[in-house]
Amino acid sequence: MLRPFALALLAASAFFATLLALPVHADNGAPAWMHSAAVAALPQYDDKTNAVILYSDELIAVQSDGKIRRTVRVAIKILRPAGRSLGKHRFAYDPDTKIISLHGWTIPAQGKDYEVKEKDMPDEGYIPFESGELVTDVRTKNLDLPAADPGNVVGYELVQDWRPYIFQDMWGVQRQIPVREAHYALQLPPSWEYKAVWANHLDVVPSTSNGLYSWSLSDVPAVRWEPEMPPWHGVAARMVVTILPPGSSNSGFESWAKMGSWYSELTRGRRDVTPDIHAKVVALTASLNSPLAKMQALAGYLQKDVRYLAMELGIGGYQPHPASFVYSHHFGDCKDKATLLSAMLADVGIDSYYVIINADRGAVDASTPPAVGNFNHAILAIKIPEGIADAALPAFTVHPKFGRLLFFDPTDTLTPFGYLRGDLQSNYGMLVIPDGGELVHLPQLPPAKGGTRRTAKLALDPQGNLTGDFVEIRTGDSATGQRYRQHAVTKSEDRVKPLESLVSDSLGSFVFTKASISNLDDTSQPFGYSYSVVARNYAKTAGNLLLVRPGVVGSYASGILERKEPRQYPIEIDSPAQYSDAFDITLPPGYEVDDLPAPVDIDNKFASYHSKTELRGNMLHYDRVYEVKQLTIAMDQMEDFRKFNRIVAGDERSTAVLKPSASAQGPTNH
Amino acid sequence: MTTLFPLWRKLSRLQQLRRFAFVAALSFAVALAITPALTADDWLPISPEELKMTSEPKAPGAPAIYLYRQVDRSDLSHGGHEHNYIRIKILTEAGRDYANIEIPYRDRMGISSIRARTVRPDGSIVNFDGQVFKTAVQKNRDSKFLAKTFTVPDVQVGSIVEYRFTYDFEDYYIFNSEWIVSAPLFTKKALFTLKPFDRWPMQWNWPAGLPEGATKPVQDEHSSIVRMTAENIPAFQEEEFMPPPNELKYRVNFLYSEDGFENDENKYWKKFGKKQYDRVEAFADKRKAMEEAVATIVSPSDAPEVKLEKIYDRCQKIRNLSYEPRISGEQIKHDKMKLPENSEELWKLGYGAGKDITWLFLGLARAAGFDARPALVASRAEHFFNPKRLDSRELDANLVVVKLNGKDIFCDPGAAFTAYGMLPWVETGARGRLLDKDGGDWIETPLPTSSATRIERKADLHLNDDGSLDGKVTVTYTGLEAQAWRIDEREQDDAARKRSLEDNLKRNIPAASEVELTNSPEWAGSKNPLVAEFDVKISSWLSTAGKRELLPAGFFVNNEKHMFEHSTRTFPVYYRFPFLKTDDIAIALPQGWKVDSDLKPVTQDIKAIAYSFSVASKPGTVTLQRSLRCDIFIVPADKYSVLRAFYQYIRTADDQQVVLLPAAAVAVN
Repeated sequence: MLRPFALALLAASAFFATLLALPVHADNGAPAWMHSAAVAALPQYDDKTNAVILYSDELIAVQSDGKIRRTVRVAIKILRPAGRSLGKHRFAYDPDTKIISLHGWTIPAQGKDYEVKEKDMPDEGYIPFESGELVTDVRTKNLDLPAADPGNVVGYELVQDWRPYIFQDMWGVQRQIPVREAHYALQLPPSWEYKAVWANHLDVVPSTSNGLYSWSLSDVPAVRWEPEMPPWHGVAARMVVTILPPGSSNSGFESWAKMGSWYSELTRGRRDVTPDIHAKVVALTASLNSPLAKMQALAGYLQKDVRYLAMELGIGGYQPHPASFVYSHHFGDCKDKATLLSAMLADVGIDSYYVIINADRGAVDASTPPAVGNFNHAILAIKIPEGIADAALPAFTVHPKFGRLLFFDPTDTLTPFGYLRGDLQSNYGMLVIPDGGELVHLPQLPPAKGGTRRTAKLALDPQGNLTGDFVEIRTGDSATGQRYRQHAVTKSEDRVKPLESLVSDSLGSFVFTKASISNLDDTSQPFGYSYSVVARNYAKTAGNLLLVRPGVVGSYASGILERKEPRQYPIEIDSPAQYSDAFDITLPPGYEVDDLPAPVDIDNKFASYHSKTELRGNMLHYDRVYEVKQLTIAMDQMEDFRKFNRIVAGDERSTAVLKPSASAQGPTNH
Repeated sequence: MTTLFPLWRKLSRLQQLRRFAFVAALSFAVALAITPALTADDWLPISPEELKMTSEPKAPGAPAIYLYRQVDRSDLSHGGHEHNYIRIKILTEAGRDYANIEIPYRDRMGISSIRARTVRPDGSIVNFDGQVFKTAVQKNRDSKFLAKTFTVPDVQVGSIVEYRFTYDFEDYYIFNSEWIVSAPLFTKKALFTLKPFDRWPMQWNWPAGLPEGATKPVQDEHSSIVRMTAENIPAFQEEEFMPPPNELKYRVNFLYSEDGFENDENKYWKKFGKKQYDRVEAFADKRKAMEEAVATIVSPSDAPEVKLEKIYDRCQKIRNLSYEPRISGEQIKHDKMKLPENSEELWKLGYGAGKDITWLFLGLARAAGFDARPALVASRAEHFFNPKRLDSRELDANLVVVKLNGKDIFCDPGAAFTAYGMLPWVETGARGRLLDKDGGDWIETPLPTSSATRIERKADLHLNDDGSLDGKVTVTYTGLEAQAWRIDEREQDDAARKRSLEDNLKRNIPAASEVELTNSPEWAGSKNPLVAEFDVKISSWLSTAGKRELLPAGFFVNNEKHMFEHSTRTFPVYYRFPFLKTDDIAIALPQGWKVDSDLKPVTQDIKAIAYSFSVASKPGTVTLQRSLRCDIFIVPADKYSVLRAFYQYIRTADDQQVVLLPAAAVAVN
């Protein structure tokens, strides 16, 4: 994985920037700039606003030797108890981004100010994951501001020196709480230039004075979390600042081509094939004749035999280890795995290219400015050799220069070669090519390439008990999800638990009499569940009627839009997919159909749903197909999406009514 | 966007090494020297069987197992240390994550002699020569929690990962420790030794028992080393609704005592009781001040039960620092805040910690003429108390027992939001020591019945022609449920509390709904139930069955949908407290609609837990009534199938549907 936010993290934890117009410290208390911010009038905020950034100020002072000093001042007013967490801040640093000074204060609504001394700021290793699988030299200084209570103002001043690998900065002006007043200033030495590009915001023109460029914004609204919303980078306003030293190649990126060139240079020689690697390639592919089989063998090796381990040490946040290192250690992060696979593919004569990407679709789009902070992952684009049918490797696009490029993520151990998981489909990534780079749009697979095909042969008895056999065939992310759950299982007897959780969504009472899994580890084949079930009292009696829900197992309706608040952001869907159910339910002896659910046929641009229940002899046959066609539900599609899901939910609850058959009721008296 | 799966997440491990219990420091120097059981360059031989093995029959499906674990500890005043040796067999791809090693440690100790290697299935060896990272997990002036991390190379399925290291303790640093015998992975064989510090008596116990393949810890007469071996230790995995994990993990606790141990159980607790009684009396016994205080609370004409309740209520109104956001030492200094040292000071200051408020209540109750005695009980949040362990730290909660009209009344007003006559759940059904000058006696606190803790949901709803439902819902929480809500939300404002109540109701309704709280629940105090009133809208409640419409009978049942869905169980089921849930739902039908078919009442009563459901209809209205009563807090694992069957029965009953005929269908009929 690329260093997530290496520099952006600093900006994120420190928030913003400052112009140093006011005295730094007042005697025995918070500085004047904080007091000044604390007394400013505020607009009325709603009851979900837990805090407001009263003032943020960031100064990026670039020295002629390329060193940068960042000075950040932030004042936050806590409005509600849930805003107390804004009293805790983590400031990241590493050997290249040293913290020169850090001060923190609280201005209580009443009484004397609090000041936190640097010796009271704990220092700890940066552990973004639950456990310590990340190898990193990034550390954090932790500031825990006292009395971060409603009505009080907390703040800090951070000074940090930074010698960047890339002359680029990102001003993340929009936050999860509103910002009353924000400033960003760039101080450049003579002859240095810059380029500023905004994302998710209209351009802001800076004021200029003697090499000082200053931007200001006020009343920036909060980005409020919504379920299934696009990732942060896809919605929050930010400015990417590219710094251009005079006559130097070491500058930020004005274009994708320039960013691609930087990465191309950074990875030069990393994919060299050593004798050991060559021997392994031979061992893996010698018995294989076709290029496709060779590619599959090498990809499988990277997926299964090279362990993922995130490593971020200095430039190693961006630069992969040499292929020889990855091969000899059998571990590496995303870019390392891509590097070794690329080397191995080259050894069998197949070209491939790095693709630098964000693992969350929606963070980058065609209008995103080139900046390394936008990305957090690396995969490969593999040039598909002639003679391989399109259908064999569907996750490809046709590049005007390189022809068919297959996108493949060797870090993803569960998605088979030739496919992409949903997060990466229809995503944008930077293709790194020998003479530069370009932003490319990754393919979206047809719905039929992923999903669940569930069939069942079932029988109902007069007491409403349902027995029978189910078979589920899962592909794409649907298969990956279950494989992931199964891989987390640590004892054989627990293998059935993920399946129990799945079925209990639909059946209140059930017992498995048999259950098995197919192709758990062989990701080249669809994942399968087969299970036999007894569901007591599945059909409900009502008088002399039996009520049977023919969609016995499976639910796809989403209630995401069933809420009072109007939707603010588009909905991101996991992956394109096709889900189908075909169930045969033999009627109990002595019963016949009295009423059947009406068929449903609905077809939208984003999804379609077709469902039908019919009587075939003494069997109820239920058939439905739900197809996800579009990965982003736009704002103007929300109402249609809501209606669509209500119809699906209604159909999933729809019920057939059985009644005693005329013959079973016996002769009537006349 | 929902992440399909966290690709890089994995379980934390080596929790067995996180054993930093009660700490005691030595104030004098003693030098001892012993030979460690393992020297720095020892690697134990690996058998061909270990290399070849592909699975462990006693741990089928395990991603990895410990082939061997060894802990050799020496509590020396100089050169105290602990050698650790771990050998892991990787059995599946997921098991390769165990090649990422994390060794936690803390202040006053270091880690040295880290060695690691990978042994490939063919027996070839790759020594670890990479970087070890030092990660500070927590650090400030007073304490820090550090970890050393590294990753072992070339780990494949079938490999053996082997590493060892030594904890080095600061001189004179001796502390209570424990062997955590249970681990997240199955352990084939383990060896534990402890060379105790020889100037302090030490005792040990194994509160959760020992695994089948373990020998009891035995101390060697000559070397004084305590030693235990164990084989085939099952992996410890947590389950929903399980008792406190600490209670279930195999472990051996070692306790030092500067003053020596009293091995006679009765004498131990008497001695402890006397000491604690003196401490409590020193805090609470401020007779004159208490008499003056109590005169401002009660009236001489009040009946005794009224007096006691008034004192209790008054104590609950005192600012309780134990339920406020943590106040840092900086804040105390900055605000010149004084902490009360006795009941008189607490009364004057008007604030104090929860336990001190309870002792204030003791003083006030006595001043009002009650026979009131202090008690220490073992809360059941983390452990189940066993007096035979002779570990007084387990008596970690305090309360007051008052004689009133010949009955014992258990009071803990320092537990915020706890109604008079109730105790917080951790103190219910708990064993403890009723203190007196002679050391006191054992008591057991009452376990309230289900009727004391209720969730009553009453709904008055209208069904509309389009299948939507709207109306009013009132939810009343009493007893421990009300207390839990008030504690959870105590630091929030009304807006956040409103959202919490609304979200909770939405989670209970098995359909997408819009919910709006319409009243102002009483969040302060504990006397009254917590009552929340809502407007509720459900856009689509009915299901269609041709000409008929079906009305789901289960309304507030979503939380029980997945309870005990798994067919197997390792540990007992543990409810925190008995409870009763009742639902009374009236649904007015649209004009012209009628009930086509009623449902029969359903009852399932297995004594400790019972369920009933009934439907009544009259023209234009359907009324659903449901009750779920639970009067048990622990169900043994061998009775799990009965409990699971009970919940399956509930779900089947909740899945019933009332058949309705819409007006158009009624007209046709």
